[in-house]
Amino acid sequence: MIYADNAATTRISDRAFEQMLPFLREQYGNASSQYSFGAKAKRAVEHARKQVAAAIGAELSEITFTSGGSEANSWVLRCVAETYRNESIHIITSAIEHHSVLNACRAIEQGGGVEVTFLPVDDAGRVSVEDVKAAIKHNTKLVSIMLANNEIGTIQPISQIGAFLKGRDILFHTDAVQAVGHIPVDVDDLRVDFLTASAHKFNGAKGTGILYKRSGLNLPPLVFGGKQERGLRAGTENVAGIVSAGSAIEESISKMAEEAKRLRSMIEVTVEGIKEKIPSVRVNGDTKFRLPGMVNLGFNGISGESLMHLLDLKGVCVSTSSACTSGKDEPSHVLLALGLSEQQAKSAIRISYGRYNTADEAKVIVKAVCGAYAKIIDNR
Amino acid sequence: MKKKSCYVCGKEALSKNEIGLTKKLLDLKSKKFYCLDCLAEYLEVDTEFLLAKVAEFKEQGCKEF
Repeated sequence: MIYADNAATTRISDRAFEQMLPFLREQYGNASSQYSFGAKAKRAVEHARKQVAAAIGAELSEITFTSGGSEANSWVLRCVAETYRNESIHIITSAIEHHSVLNACRAIEQGGGVEVTFLPVDDAGRVSVEDVKAAIKHNTKLVSIMLANNEIGTIQPISQIGAFLKGRDILFHTDAVQAVGHIPVDVDDLRVDFLTASAHKFNGAKGTGILYKRSGLNLPPLVFGGKQERGLRAGTENVAGIVSAGSAIEESISKMAEEAKRLRSMIEVTVEGIKEKIPSVRVNGDTKFRLPGMVNLGFNGISGESLMHLLDLKGVCVSTSSACTSGKDEPSHVLLALGLSEQQAKSAIRISYGRYNTADEAKVIVKAVCGAYAKIIDNR
Repeated sequence: MKKKSCYVCGKEALSKNEIGLTKKLLDLKSKKFYCLDCLAEYLEVDTEFLLAKVAEFKEQGCKEF
């Protein structure tokens, strides 16, 4: 099998796996317990916090572990809105955010007292800083724009938006789930107040998310219960998952520059190889401001879902954002926001390479994609 | 609804699963349909693979099956 869907999830690294394993078996203590057995687990959590903080230029106290990126995103949006529950407030986000942001925005909007502006993007999927400026209202309290898109890999001008928002009494959140571990991320350079990430996107275990909250900001808890995570996020710590997050982020940072170069080269081989056989193929998203290992390709006149399934039959895993699961075949909201037609949006597949993909696999994928495309076309 | 036959071997009255597989794997608006054996041959896979896919599609709630 060739796994080329690393934007969906990644294989845990050997190092992260080995480091988390003792905390599932021998060192299974509760990090909140006061005896030594628990203290060891607590120390492991704090070490991981240090690793995560160092990776994104944050302070230890600014890092909170959650169950995943979706929880962290929901937490920021819902609880910032809750902070202003007696006021009528305005939130700005983009039309191409992950559903954990979009659906949280819609939910709080329906709750009343909150108006949300969903900013458009250009044909490459970039949010304009000018559009952010123009959308600001007297009661804007939060701007939430993702750092890198999960379907097309487009990287947003977060530091420029952050620079504009600085000193304006508007909180700034970025969903960095696809970016952390893959491109340099520094919370001060980005000038964000909140940043969210997820361990399984950078070769850590599933089930551990990260919320960066700038020191001094107030964010009410989303989950109530015990005093874990300095009273911010209740629930017994997922020690093993947290250890994997710390280990994996450290490892990803250490390999980042080399990996980015390698992945970019593999994407280039893939795109050029496919273009040679299928000249009409279209690259969706930005070609310059894009994650190194990801590309979204459109194949005019065919179904991306069919292509994905045929590749699956050949042992190649890629993804399509348009999938018929319950009789509804919905096109991707991201691709529609780029201005693509419904048919064009349904013709796309996403290839996302990661640490365990090889250059030879990229060549195999080119051959498999071209072969599957020919089968679909020849059936006409 | 008009019964469909296999474009290659002419097998008549294709099953819902066979029609669904052609639609899902080749084209939702396909006018040519394949029986399981001919589809497997066309796609160069074993019929077991295709049957496994049918089971997956059903689990996912796809109404084509």
